[in-house]
Formats: sequence, structure tokens, C-alpha cells
Amino acid sequence: MTDNENTAAAAVMAPPRSEVGVVGWMRANLFSTWYNVLMTVVSVVVVVLFLWFGLTWVFGDAEWQVIGTLGGQFIIGQYNTQTACPLDQNCFWRPQVGLLLATMVLGMAWGIAGGGTAKRVALAVAVVSAALALLPYSFDRMGMDVRVLLVANIPAVFLGLAITQYTPWRDIKHVTIVGVVSFLLTIFLLRGFEGIPGLQPVSVIYWGGLMLNILLAVAGIVLSLPIGIGLALGRRSQLPVVKLLCVVFIEIFRGVPLITLLFMSQVLVPLAFPENFPQNSLFRAAVVITLFSSAYMAENIRGGLQALHPGQAEAARALGLSGWQITFLISLPQAIRNVIPAIVGQFIALFKDTSLVYIIGMLDVVEIGRAFIQGNVEYLPSAKELFIFLAIVFWIFTYGMSYVSRRVEDHLRVGAR
Amino acid sequence: MTATEETAENGTMIVCRDVHKWFGSFHALRGVSTTINRGEVVVVFGPSGSGKSTFIRTINRLEEHQRGDIIVDGIELTNDVRNIEAIRSEVGMVFQSFNLFPHLTVLDNIMLAPLKVRKWPKDQAEEVAMSLLDRVGIPEQAGKYPGELSGGQQQRVAIARALAMQPKIMLFDEPTSALDPEMIKEVLDAMRELADSGMTMIVVTHEMGFAREVSNRMIMFDEGVIVEEGTPNDIFNNPQQDRTKLFLSQII
Repeated sequence: MTDNENTAAAAVMAPPRSEVGVVGWMRANLFSTWYNVLMTVVSVVVVVLFLWFGLTWVFGDAEWQVIGTLGGQFIIGQYNTQTACPLDQNCFWRPQVGLLLATMVLGMAWGIAGGGTAKRVALAVAVVSAALALLPYSFDRMGMDVRVLLVANIPAVFLGLAITQYTPWRDIKHVTIVGVVSFLLTIFLLRGFEGIPGLQPVSVIYWGGLMLNILLAVAGIVLSLPIGIGLALGRRSQLPVVKLLCVVFIEIFRGVPLITLLFMSQVLVPLAFPENFPQNSLFRAAVVITLFSSAYMAENIRGGLQALHPGQAEAARALGLSGWQITFLISLPQAIRNVIPAIVGQFIALFKDTSLVYIIGMLDVVEIGRAFIQGNVEYLPSAKELFIFLAIVFWIFTYGMSYVSRRVEDHLRVGAR
Repeated sequence: MTATEETAENGTMIVCRDVHKWFGSFHALRGVSTTINRGEVVVVFGPSGSGKSTFIRTINRLEEHQRGDIIVDGIELTNDVRNIEAIRSEVGMVFQSFNLFPHLTVLDNIMLAPLKVRKWPKDQAEEVAMSLLDRVGIPEQAGKYPGELSGGQQQRVAIARALAMQPKIMLFDEPTSALDPEMIKEVLDAMRELADSGMTMIVVTHEMGFAREVSNRMIMFDEGVIVEEGTPNDIFNNPQQDRTKLFLSQII
């Protein structure tokens, strides 16, 4: 071996022992200097004290009965109360069917994604829904059927999965269609129909709880993205009138607080539609929330479009692609990918903002709790438990969105380098 | 005889007559006239800011000229959108910064225009794309994204992408200027092979070795006008203009 010497010189050596492993990591990151040691000790003390008092309170002193007392109201508000739903009926099954449709669509998403994040999300939603059936809380006038329908979410996911495996409905177009149809079906089911036994109308003023937050958020998310894209493209348009209209729209909706818009909606939205157009407070709130979110979405997407290298559109033009083709095949896919964090941030803000509909008298999940405490003074000491519970509920949803967004980003990163 | 008939009859591919271009008040092209024949490989060179990139970008209307005529393969460049689209699908272009579409795979980058502009069926587009990747020597990269390739590989994909439209003319705008030295050769080799196949090419480049070996004609630009044109032999061994001599002495 003539090149022995060279090999020895180029040998890859392991790093020094003190740099690796738990001890090395701790030495480098926690105890490298005297003030670092101090910070570490203080932080540990704070965390331990916080956990100690926190956990003793959660499992000892806290009064969680208020959560169980409100029970199903958190989920559907007053939808199934005797005033909302006719005396001889149980209306709880209608939102349940909506949930089943949703889990089925998630199952289809799992099917076309072939596992991964879609699978985890679909299973998580189904399992949590099914687990709700096992909790010892009360539903208003609840029968066994409610719990059975909740458990049915698990087969619903697999039904969705099976549809994509054994029928031709196995692409994103079909999932989108089924999703939109399911959403509309849910709305119609929740509203009910005059004259059909078992499907008596339930006025939207009784729709509430998480159901209300989710309906508003889904409508807002699904519609604000395309409207926002349209506004962003319009704002960059060469046509002065289109551009002016989009700028005015965006600046007005961004410049006015959502609460103000919600108040105004009850007066102004009716003016925008024909007199006999069927509308109600929920519809008006959905319109305003969607438009408000679209204005922000437009600016996010415009930011993404502006970050694109001009060479991209130039190369596409040189290949002979038309203006629309460049926009939809080259610019938008890249722009949207670049601003996914901002878009999801907007979705999260929108979801949280749905709580503001309490201002026009709708009982979203927060207002259900707040109104209950106000009306039942004996529960006043439980307000902190109630609001901690509500915070956790919101956090679970928003963290779920942020988790999905991070996974989507990771998935797309290959092409973004 | 009209200009259109003039080019269609003989072997002329591009005719430029007194082309002017302004960027705001800056006079970038100040009366450029030249004729480029079928199968010719023309190298355009000159100092930066001399208008050479602007000139080749007027040929596929990435820049609009404001005075004079440009006739490409018998089609006069006017504001008529159909003319512009017709010319763009006849003229391929390769850029200094590659400009591959980062969200599409290599294969999809190449197939995009044939599918969407030429409306070819997918099988045909894929077959052509694969044979072009073969031609530029990187068929194994078809499924990767541009970001996963080296600069030289990306530029070769860009050449394949332009060729997929089966253009009659290829424009190269400083195709090797953004590349590391060891990657310049692979791109120049692909261009040399293209020149040998009879493609009409206009190449803006500082690669004087390539110009000497491959080109039929060289055009020296400065301050928006053609200072001098001639065969590589004329330009390198017997330049007529002082500005050409000065520029060549600075870069060689």
C-alpha cells in the first residue's frame, strides 16, 4: 500500500468526546459560562414551580364540572334546545351527519395522498370524534343515537378511503367536489326544510358552539383564497379601472376593524343583494368574514408574486405561453408556495376571529361559555376553568392547522431550493 | 418587393433594419441593421451596457423596439399578438440565469410548452422531452427538480426546454456567465453540437474560444450600434475598428 500515508492524513476522525452525546450537548448549551449556568438553574426552578402549582391546580383544586354541564352546547350551541328544534324531535343527528361527511372527505384526502399527514389528520379527527361519545357529559335531550353517530366517524374515514381505492373518484378534483357538496349538504341539512317530517327548519339564530366557528371558518377559508388570488391579480393588473377597484376594496376591508364590519354587515349586506334574496345574520356574518380575510389574503399573495424573479415570466413568455398560462402555471404556484406560512397564518387568524360573531348576537363556543357563567352566578368561580378549556380547544385547532402547514412546506421544499 | 416576401424567398432568417429601442430616455439601440441567414451561428459581443442583450431580446419581443423593422422567418414583428406568439414558438431562448421553473421537475419543465402551446398529446411530449434530455446528456435527471441540479446541468435542461418547441432559431443570452468554470465546457459542448446540427443561433457571449471555433460571424456592439461585423478570422486577426481592438485586447 503506497498511499498509506495519504490515507492516514485524510482519515475522518470522530469529534472530541466532550462535544458529543448528552454530556457534550449539556456542556455546550447549558453550562458553557457562569451566566449560562445561572440562567439554566433559574429556568429549571421556574419550570418546576410552574408545573408543580399548575398540575396541583388542574388535578386538585380546579372545578371542571362546568365543562360537563355545558357539554354538547360547546359543540352545537342551542341547536338542539326545545326552542330551536321542535318538541317531538331530536335534531342533534343533523350536525352529526355533517361531521360524518367531513371525516369521510378527510378519508378520501388520505386515500389520494397515500398516507402521511393526511392520514394522521383524518385518523385524529375520527378518533377524537369517536372519543367524545365515551365522555360522561350531557347532551341536550340526547339519545343513544348521538353517541352511535359519533363512533361512526371511524368507519366514515375508512369509507372515504375505500372510495378512493375502489371507485374512479381518486383524484384531487373529485375530493374537492365531494368536499364542496358535503359542505352545502350539511348547511341544507342544518337549516332543514319546511314540510318534511323529521327535517323541520332550525333557525340560524340557534346555530352555535364550535359548529358555528367551524362553519364560518370553512366557508371563509375555502372562499377567501380564490377571492384573494383574484384581488391580488387585479391589483397587479395593467387595466387601471380593475386595479383601482381592487386597491379600494383591499384598503377598505383591511382598514376597518372586523367588529365594525360585522355590525355594518347587518345593515349593509342586505343592500348588496336583491330584496327577496334569502339571507340571515349567519349568511351576512360569513360574507363579511370572508371578504375581510380575502383582503389580507390578497396582500399575502401579492407579496408572493412580487418576490418572484422576473426571469420566470420572461422564460415562460419566450416559450410562447399566454398571459393566463403564465399566471396559473408559473407565477401563482410559486407565489403561493412562497407564502404558505402567511396564508396559514391568515387561516388561523380567521378561525379565531369567528368568535367575534358574538357581537351580532350569535352564540359561538366562547359566547356559549361566557353567557352561561353570566346567567348562572353559582358557576362564576369556574370561569377560569371554562376559559382555560376554551383556550385549549382553540389551540388544538390552530395547532393542527399550523402542523399541516409545516408538513406541506416540508413536502414542497424539494422544489423550492 | 415587400419585406415579408424578401425573407421567405432566399435563405434569410432574420432581417433587422434601423432598429431603435429606448428605455425611458435612455437610447439603448441606436439604429441596428443586420441580416442573419438560415443555419448561421452569430456571436454577439461587446462591453456591458452596449445593447447586445437588448438586441437579441427584441428578436422574440421580450423587448419591444420602437422604430425600424424586425422580420423573423418572414413574419414581421408588430404589436399583433398572433405575430408575437407565432414568432415566440419559432424562437427558443436560453438565459444567463437559466430561469427553469423551480416548482416543476426537469421533465415537466421541458414538456410544459409543447403540451400547453403546441397542444401535443402527453406521450409525444414526453418522448420528445426524453430524447432531448438524452441529447444534452442528462436523461437520468428527468425526475429531479431544478434546485437539485448543478448550474451546468440546469443550463443544459434550459437548452432542452427551448429545443422542445422545435424552434428554427435559438437565442443565447450569456449562457455561461453564471456558471462555475468547470461547468462552462459541458454547456458549450451542447451548444457546439446544436450548431453542428444546422441550427440558426445568435449567441451573446464572452467565450472567445467558442466564437473562434463555432461561429460563422461575429458582431461587435458598443453604445447601441454595431461597431463591426465579420468572420472570426477577420475579427480576431484583422479588426478594423479601434473600439474592437481595444475591447478584444481587454478580454483576451
